[in-house]
Amino acid sequence: MTAPLVTVRGISRTFGAGPTAVHALRDVSFDVEAGRMVALVGRSGSGKTTLLNVIGGLDRPDAGSVLIDGEDITGLDEDGLSQLRRDKVSYVFQTFGLIPVLSAAENVGAPLRLARTPAADREQRVRLLLDLVGLADHAEQRPGELSGGQQQRVAIARALAASPRLLIADEPTGQLDADTGRSVMALLRGVVESEGVTVLVSTHDPVMMALADRVVRIGDGRLEQ
Amino acid sequence: MIALVRRRARAQWPVLAALLAVVTLGATLLGVCALLVTRSADVALGVAANRTDAEQSTVTAYTSSVSGPDAAAVVDATRDVLTSALAPFPARTAARASSELRPLPGRDDDARTYLSGVEDLPDRATLTSGHWPAAAGEAVLLEPTAELLRLRVGSRVHLAAKPPENPAPAVDLTVVGIARPLPNGGWDRDLLAGTGYQADFNDGSTMRRFPTYGPFLIGFDSLVTGGSSLSRMEIVARPDLSGATPATLATVATGVRDADPRLTGTLGERAKLTRVASELADTLRAQQHQQNITEAAVLAVAVLATVLTAVALALAGRLTAGLRAAETSLLSAMGASPVQRAVTAVVEAGAIALVAAALAVPLSALVHSGLSHLPPMAGAGLATGPVLAGAQVLVVVAGALSLTVVLVLIALRAEAPHGDRGRREVLARSGADLLLVAFAALGWWQLHARGTDTGLIEVLAPALLLIAGAALALRLVPPALRVADRLARRSDGLPLPLAAFEAARRPQAAAAGLLICLAAATATFGLSFDDTWHRSQRDQAALAVGTDLAVALAVPPMAGQGAAITAATGAAVVSPAADRGLAIGQWIGAGTPPRLVAADTTHANELFRGRVPGDQDWATLTRGLAPGGPVHGVPLPAGSSFAVSATGTGDIPLTTTPALLLQDSSGLRTTCTTAAFTLDGARHPITGCVPVDGMQLIAVALPLDTAPGYFSAGDISAVTAELRLSAPVGELGTWTVASALPDSGQVLTPALAATGTTVRLTAKVQLGGSWNQTPTLVATAFRAPRTVPVIISRTLADGIGVTTGSHLDVLVGNTGVPVDVAGVVPDVPSAPGAAAVLADLDTLTRVLTAHGDPQSPVDAWWAAAPARNDVAALHLGTVTTRTGESARLTAGPLNAGLPAVLRLLVPAAVLLLFAGMILHVTHDLRDRAVEVARLRGLGLTGRQIRTVLLGQHAFVLIPLLFAGALVGALATWIITPLMVRSETGAPPVPEVAPVWPWAAESLLILVLVAGCSAAAGIVATIQARRAGAAQLRVAS
Repeated sequence: MTAPLVTVRGISRTFGAGPTAVHALRDVSFDVEAGRMVALVGRSGSGKTTLLNVIGGLDRPDAGSVLIDGEDITGLDEDGLSQLRRDKVSYVFQTFGLIPVLSAAENVGAPLRLARTPAADREQRVRLLLDLVGLADHAEQRPGELSGGQQQRVAIARALAASPRLLIADEPTGQLDADTGRSVMALLRGVVESEGVTVLVSTHDPVMMALADRVVRIGDGRLEQ
Repeated sequence: MIALVRRRARAQWPVLAALLAVVTLGATLLGVCALLVTRSADVALGVAANRTDAEQSTVTAYTSSVSGPDAAAVVDATRDVLTSALAPFPARTAARASSELRPLPGRDDDARTYLSGVEDLPDRATLTSGHWPAAAGEAVLLEPTAELLRLRVGSRVHLAAKPPENPAPAVDLTVVGIARPLPNGGWDRDLLAGTGYQADFNDGSTMRRFPTYGPFLIGFDSLVTGGSSLSRMEIVARPDLSGATPATLATVATGVRDADPRLTGTLGERAKLTRVASELADTLRAQQHQQNITEAAVLAVAVLATVLTAVALALAGRLTAGLRAAETSLLSAMGASPVQRAVTAVVEAGAIALVAAALAVPLSALVHSGLSHLPPMAGAGLATGPVLAGAQVLVVVAGALSLTVVLVLIALRAEAPHGDRGRREVLARSGADLLLVAFAALGWWQLHARGTDTGLIEVLAPALLLIAGAALALRLVPPALRVADRLARRSDGLPLPLAAFEAARRPQAAAAGLLICLAAATATFGLSFDDTWHRSQRDQAALAVGTDLAVALAVPPMAGQGAAITAATGAAVVSPAADRGLAIGQWIGAGTPPRLVAADTTHANELFRGRVPGDQDWATLTRGLAPGGPVHGVPLPAGSSFAVSATGTGDIPLTTTPALLLQDSSGLRTTCTTAAFTLDGARHPITGCVPVDGMQLIAVALPLDTAPGYFSAGDISAVTAELRLSAPVGELGTWTVASALPDSGQVLTPALAATGTTVRLTAKVQLGGSWNQTPTLVATAFRAPRTVPVIISRTLADGIGVTTGSHLDVLVGNTGVPVDVAGVVPDVPSAPGAAAVLADLDTLTRVLTAHGDPQSPVDAWWAAAPARNDVAALHLGTVTTRTGESARLTAGPLNAGLPAVLRLLVPAAVLLLFAGMILHVTHDLRDRAVEVARLRGLGLTGRQIRTVLLGQHAFVLIPLLFAGALVGALATWIITPLMVRSETGAPPVPEVAPVWPWAAESLLILVLVAGCSAAAGIVATIQARRAGAAQLRVAS
């Protein structure tokens, strides 16, 4: 058994206060081993997105800790969290999250620009990743000119650009039809195999669950496994 | 639908408040402009009329040859005509009259005298002894008359009766006072112009000339009831125009125009000649015209403000429509018909318009009142409390409703299918700005070609030009951003390149860009127009006055006046000046005849005012006009007297009218002369001048002619003339004597010598012949140049086709003077737009003297840099100052509305720009919240996100602001020279020089950049802070 890349311990997150408070996460603890693909499964409102946001440093837990690659991120300040997302954690959003004014290549190259990668290296890496997601011929097209599946592939290529240790995908097939969703899931699976990236993905999709190395179920803010 | 509007208003009140604020601002501006062109304009006309110079507001009735028995009735009838002409204003009348000439008793020289009655005599003369006439038979004499007739207080004079055909009963007069005429006291209208004596006066009733003394000043009522026939009478009516309104002014203008025929009809045969003269009607018409010019400019500003508000509203409406897109779709899906949705839009827009109007009416009244209490309106006497006027309410309501039509149109446009709309927009945008440019060009051309009248095109032109410029500038921004995009691609970082990409590639709201560009253009144009207008008014004032302080003399100058003016002004330089008509052959140029302006050019920079071309100054331009060195004549002690005795050989008696040219310490030259006398060897005193301390005799002229009735065919007479002074003459080292120019060769062997107190002139004079000039012997203490070097105005140069180096012969008075054109300037000081000649007064006087006319053509005083202005107390004439004229032009009641409204336009444009900017970035905040959150997901720090957002706005805003400033600057150069008008509506003289006030404009742009940056910065900060899990959850 490999060492856990992500260690979640006793995470709680509540939105609001008083009688209307929503307990999105209640004492959640689990580990994700490196190089694995873990599916986070639950109904809408079960706390999946909140858990992913807390693990990705986009949200802070009220209690508990999250360790990424052995580093407790709950104590990091905003700049530390940004650095974390830049170096170790990447996101793939349900609505793709591409920057509309950038071409596919520029979207993929954005994390590399953030890391101030020299232009030549950046262009080479972008070409490689677009090849990987099968969009080499669409490099200059903008998101608005791509299909949903193509946009999500670009999003995955962008997520891989900075060679993260952890890729968090929040319902990446939620906006896609079944066939496209399956191809995206296959791509993510392939990425785990080829890049050695750890993928934490929330989904309702049984196919996705089938492709995952492990399925973690969450309901009403608690792990159900 | 009403319920929907109500609920939506509750839910979306911030949006509606923004719309309401913009409409209210626009309607308020319109309301203020409406008050400026109605209420303030009416008040301004009244104030201007009330401030009109006495000369321009008085109405004078002249009558002549009134029979004695009719005199009193004619006076009453004339007063009635005048006062009724000036109704409804009360008027004060002042009458003066002179009797026909009647023999002076006890004289064998057929001397004449006359009686005068002057109603406000104590205002026109000062008593030196005795008292003013209070009863019948009492008379006051002017000092020269009393002296010459050897009369004093208590003397009695009996004037005999005159024949019945020109009745004048005998009258016994007692002299009860001696008076001295006050300068500017209206004595120019006395038969003898207040001189008290004239050796050869002709009153026009016969061909004969008489030695005439007078007047005997008696009570006016005594004169008109005493039975004496009146040779002339004038009654001046001065209205009190306070509280004037346009209607009452129109009434009085009509009354004055009709007064002349009414007086003629009323007096019938009782007066030989009647005439009513007044500049009042013309003055009021000119004031109305000037007011129209200001109103046109105010309306132009109103149009500009309306366009700006409409663009701001278009932006607000567009953002609101975007905000309601989902709601609109839902309503459509729920089955609301387009008509129902249109009704909803109309109801909402109507409600906004009504609320805005309800707010704008009192707001505009308050703003107008506040504006009127600030300079320049307050100084112009236009301060007024908050007022409500019908026109104001109408304009505000109509303006608010019209503006909200924009909202309705945008709401309906949002209903249109996007595909069709996109195509239409592309078509519209590609053509609309070009159409605007075409209209702006047409407007400019019309403006360029117009006359003195104001019209619609003047009102619309600035708005057309600015909006066309802004629309064109918008086309320039995308290429600039594309350059930034290309540069950004080469960068390795993300935040700034991403900002550049966002700016260059994201479709920008055209309305936002147009508003920002147009508002920046309007604000910068407003500032520069204000400065250009003020500069032009100051330039016009400077050129019109020609110097810092000018005194147009009502009476001939007297020795010592220069010192008095220096004391009254504390001026650094005081110079006598000439400012009069000039004859140049057959003048065929346009406009008024040429003018002669002459003053001391050795102090040109200090003395002359008026813009000169390039980097030149008046000293450079007038270099070479002044003669070399001062004149050193024969010093004269104060109170010196002169007498001339002369003899001539031969059988034909000769006559002469000797003239002496004296110069006082201020450089003023005056002429002393006497009546013509025969060269009989007797001493003839030269009267008429009283030397003061520091005076010098600098020239003597002795014209020699045969006595009347004699004819010579070439006889030669040896003439000897001796001028006796009351002090030793001394050496005449620098003096020369010669024949007056042009030398006809009639004066032979002229010679000059001085012994003791006598200057002796000798020459042989050839009489008769074919020469058409009087041989004149001229002795001068200076050398006179052969010609007068002058600089001339461009109008004169073009009018007669001369240029630098040309030679002309001009007529100064009756003396021909050769002049050389040493330069051409756009305009001569004090003669804006006129064909004019500028000469050095010293040179001109020397050349005139050399031509046998020893005079200095002085009719004004010019003073440089006066520390004070107490000249009016000297009663010398009309005093005009450059600063006063400038204040009249810039802050006079008829002009004050323009700078006031310009000062309102600039903050309004800034406010609308900020409002548009805030609306735009706030909309951006809402629209891109998720996108910004994802940037955080990419790993951008809050600072980097702020950099991206702020950079993106900066990339768009700064080019737009500078493009707007560029449009404002271009408009300044293109249109302000055509927009700024003189008070007559004609193009100003000198030409308008566009001013771009760098400091104020830089500050304005800095404020705009800072304000926009602050708005964008705040929004970027909020966006960066909000960018987090919550936004991502919303997106999911």
